[in-house]
Amino acid sequence: MRLARGWLNGGRRRPELVVPALLGGVLLLYFLLPFVAFLGRVGSTPIVAGLSTPDARQAIRHSLLTAPVSTAIATVFGVPLAYVLARQSFPGKRLVAAVVVLPLVVPPVVGGAMILTAVGRFTPLGSAAAAAGIPLTGSLLGVVLAQTFVAAPFVVITSRAGFGAVDERLEQASRSLGYGPLATFWNVSLPLARGSIVAGVVLTFARAMGEFGATMMVAYNPRTIPTQIWVAFIGGGIDAILPLALALFGLTLLVVTTLQRLGRLPAVVER
Amino acid sequence: MTLDIEGLGHRYGTERALADVSFGIEAGEVVAVVGPSGCGKTTLVQAIAGHLTPTSGRIRLRGEAVTDRPPEAREVGLVFQQSTLYPHMTVGENVAYGLGPQGIEPDERDAIVEEYLALVDLEAQRAAYPSELSGGQGRRVELARALAPQPDVLLLDEPLSALDRGLRVQLREEIARIQRETGVTTLFVTHDQTDAMALADRLVVMRDGAVAAVGQPRELYESPPTPFVASFLGRSIELPASVVDGDPPRIEVAGQERSVSTVPQQSPGATLRCYVRPSSLSIRPPREGEIGLSGTVQRVTDNGRHFAVTVRTTAGVELVVIQQPSPPAVDETVTVAVPTAELHLF
Repeated sequence: MRLARGWLNGGRRRPELVVPALLGGVLLLYFLLPFVAFLGRVGSTPIVAGLSTPDARQAIRHSLLTAPVSTAIATVFGVPLAYVLARQSFPGKRLVAAVVVLPLVVPPVVGGAMILTAVGRFTPLGSAAAAAGIPLTGSLLGVVLAQTFVAAPFVVITSRAGFGAVDERLEQASRSLGYGPLATFWNVSLPLARGSIVAGVVLTFARAMGEFGATMMVAYNPRTIPTQIWVAFIGGGIDAILPLALALFGLTLLVVTTLQRLGRLPAVVER
Repeated sequence: MTLDIEGLGHRYGTERALADVSFGIEAGEVVAVVGPSGCGKTTLVQAIAGHLTPTSGRIRLRGEAVTDRPPEAREVGLVFQQSTLYPHMTVGENVAYGLGPQGIEPDERDAIVEEYLALVDLEAQRAAYPSELSGGQGRRVELARALAPQPDVLLLDEPLSALDRGLRVQLREEIARIQRETGVTTLFVTHDQTDAMALADRLVVMRDGAVAAVGQPRELYESPPTPFVASFLGRSIELPASVVDGDPPRIEVAGQERSVSTVPQQSPGATLRCYVRPSSLSIRPPREGEIGLSGTVQRVTDNGRHFAVTVRTTAGVELVVIQQPSPPAVDETVTVAVPTAELHLF
């Protein structure tokens, strides 16, 4: 309501924004239309019953297990990479940056196929791991591999932009005040880039939760919510996927809002 | 010697930033490094603070070689042109930040923060965030933060350049007072010769990465060792001059022959570079030991406390005379008296 009032009379009139707002509105409508149409079918399907089947419960469990692990892996390895890319120029840096976006450019199904050729059951790495009792495909670990491959670029790209916006002199001042590079990263660079890092983590998590193409290739079983949705769709059409799709929305939304709230809690940095 | 720099050189790729820079600073001394932008001042500060490893040369702090030490292992306080206060910490936390690595007890740390905030007169802002401070207050907090760990040397890299004129003069005096009270050895880098002359015990004039001159401000201003120093430190007017005779030394300045005490070159006919300060010139008939140059007044600029009168001589030289009361009118024909003793010849 406040937003609407501000837009109509309280806010400053910005006639120059009418045309961009109209153009943007078209896209917004296009986003909303399928959502509304899809959610409009909710009344016709028993949601709770659909979610209480053993298959659905297992899929939810698997997704809630794998997506956070993939996100954690992407963050632990991605944030330091982002920092190096933001701070250091070196020969071949463009190539490294290109490698980071590669998983975004490659269609997920192809990405999955690529993972299979690298760690599949008949590759040296894959067979060795399987022999040791940790199969890299057709397992939850396989799901994590697929999700990490597809979703990790988001946290790297967003964090890199965040670190890039932190003036290097703030780090130099910290070093001159007696802190080593690690303590400086922890005390200065990380808190100041926190907003961007959280945004990257959120994007990576949402992408990992919804990952289907690569997961299907690497680990069709055990099923995650997206693969189970696919199976349900083949068997029963649109209405059959409603319960799990709603669960996916709800869970992702819950985690995303929690992360954002956590990220904002102590002293938001606005410069 | 608190800070001793010996043969410091640095290159960015093939570009020379510093070449054989050597000078020292005694304990408690304020030294200003001045030079036009791009002369290597910032590279010098970065090398002293340890944020850059020089290609050649040595840096000693209190007699210890620190050239290869990381910044955190040197006792150097650093204040940049732009604010580097941490926006996610309060003023008090910012000042306390540098005390952390020294392992000081919380109680004592509190007292030190209080002491340094009092030094810059900002005790009341202790709980404020940097975004709530004015530009001048922010600068003072940075000074307090840099000084609290009691560094061997305080490095100020253009600390006044981002401020407007009034605040600049005020903060310059504030820095002078803080330096007097703490006695901290200070290296002050600036492109502004007024700031440098006002604050420093000694000047290091830099040009193209090399030291052009070192000396006391007055001494460098009154008898500049090179044409560059003459034109960089304060306004200088160049007059056409040449050698008439080497022994006894006689020169020709703006078409008039005069005896001088010494000439930099002996061979008759050699062209000289001759500089004079606007403040040495006066509009009146010449007296003993002065040259009279006649010309017409081109412009009169009111600078508040004085007038700057631009006179174009019949020989085509533009002179600027600083005159206090009643300036002549534009297009008036006047005579400018130039004291021969105040000509700087190169």
